[in-house]
Amino acid sequence: MLALSGIRKTFNPGTVNEVRALQGVDLTIEPGSFVIVLGMNGSGKSTLLNAVAGSFYVDEGTIRLANHDVTKWPEHKRAKLIGRVFQNPFSGTAPTMSIAENFALASRRGHARGLGWALSPHLMKPLRERIATLKMGLEGRLDNAIGSLSGGQRQALTLLMATWLKPELLLLDEHTAALDPKSADQVIQLSDEVIQRDNLTTLMVTHSMQQAVSLGDRIIMMHRGRVLHDIRGAEKKRLRPEDLLDRFDEVRRRELLDESAAAMLNELYI
Amino acid sequence: MTLLIGALIIGLILSLLALGVLVSFRIFSMPDITTDGSITLGASIAAILLVKGVNPVLATAAGALGGAAAGAVTGILHTKFKINSLLSGILVMTALYSVNLHVMGRSNVPLMQATTVASYGEHLGEWLAGGKTIHILGWPVSSADAAVLFLALLFTTAAGAAMFAFFRTQLGTAMRATGDNPQMIRALGANVELNIILGLALSNGFVALAGALLAQYQGFADAQMGIGMVVWGLASVIIGEALTGTRSLGLTIVGTIMGSVLFRLLVAIALRWGLNPNDLKLITALFVFAALVLPGFLDRFKPRPTSAT
Repeated sequence: MLALSGIRKTFNPGTVNEVRALQGVDLTIEPGSFVIVLGMNGSGKSTLLNAVAGSFYVDEGTIRLANHDVTKWPEHKRAKLIGRVFQNPFSGTAPTMSIAENFALASRRGHARGLGWALSPHLMKPLRERIATLKMGLEGRLDNAIGSLSGGQRQALTLLMATWLKPELLLLDEHTAALDPKSADQVIQLSDEVIQRDNLTTLMVTHSMQQAVSLGDRIIMMHRGRVLHDIRGAEKKRLRPEDLLDRFDEVRRRELLDESAAAMLNELYI
Repeated sequence: MTLLIGALIIGLILSLLALGVLVSFRIFSMPDITTDGSITLGASIAAILLVKGVNPVLATAAGALGGAAAGAVTGILHTKFKINSLLSGILVMTALYSVNLHVMGRSNVPLMQATTVASYGEHLGEWLAGGKTIHILGWPVSSADAAVLFLALLFTTAAGAAMFAFFRTQLGTAMRATGDNPQMIRALGANVELNIILGLALSNGFVALAGALLAQYQGFADAQMGIGMVVWGLASVIIGEALTGTRSLGLTIVGTIMGSVLFRLLVAIALRWGLNPNDLKLITALFVFAALVLPGFLDRFKPRPTSAT
């Protein structure tokens, strides 16, 4: 279970570049829940994921994950509990190392790394079988450098690596945004399969309304560093893409109103 | 023939330095100038211990450990204090100059009287050959030189194999990934900072080991002996990559050893032909410059493929 309470984060405080990225986020996610995070650019959705992953420490609030208070844990320690797939397909794999070596690294996530051989026979057999299920023809290329593969292939492999050891929490940060539509579909389908099979607690950021309505059991809409809407249960099941777009329009209108009001005030008083 | 064997031995010893530079420069993508200080540190520690009559193997190991400590300091400056990697190396290299003078107590320690690993080799050679000279391909060769060459070859091969094996372990692969994609390996739970510190310690341990052995072979340690050695290592790595390519780590390691030996041979030949020794560092630097720039320069003149392959 993931529990965030009172999370605040301001980047570059006290400077002209000050960004109040998270302004008090309270969120509890039940085990096995698949949560979609939506929001416009700059709404704080990626920042939220990075706060959970430990890319930075939050200014205020606590983060609890699987009965640990991880608020002060460094990123690499939280990795014991968290599997991640990034937006950039280059981010999740070591390009000059082979497919097998990348998985060998993933198979030690959260464990001490000693002087045992990285590529053990225990790993190779299940690895070959699992990669064969991707039907990308990669099972015969385990010794090839992962950098020679396409973005879609790399993202599919990153997903398998992140879930090779079952994580307490899976973070998917717009992990199909940089892919062509066909690869994106494949990776989304694979993600859903893996999440259903292992009943993974998941937070997935996306821009796609289609993905948001067809996947997951809960939608969180972020706006200006806060959770604006929290849609779940039967309401989530009934949701259509148009409904989401309406909510976005509503947000956008409010934004416009804010800006025009600010402009008016500026004109009148300054 | 003696000249040739001397060049081969020094090339083999310095290939340990080149392997160290391979780790910092290629695996961690950090040109680590600590090298210039740590090779001298390894030589100083080994020399002063040998003069005091310490067992040569222990003295050599102590020299290597000293270098590893220096590398760890560079790593700590870079990761914990967030100092630019190049500057961290410069700081440690500069500090080491004083440290080395303190270790030796003066700027030069001769080892003519001391028992060294080189004298082990010489004894071994004379014992095996049963005389002062043997004939290799019809050439008369001092049996001592031949034995030292053989030992150097054996030791370098073992060191290269050990490095290759290490980079296939769980810890070693995590280190390679640290250089390749720190974000990825952090997300997989490895401590990137610790890996960099360990990696630089490993790199400078190899460099100092080369220094300790070089001092024993040439018969002295000198406070100036480290100047320009990182560039020497880079040159060896680059020649090695031209020889064997970079497709696999094993080939790169073999190439680096070959590169160091070849480079030393070329230098010996050039000196023999009358190259002014004062120009050596300049030419080494120019060589590395050309090797770094030429590939990109030549690419511009290559016909581009018209369609994606």
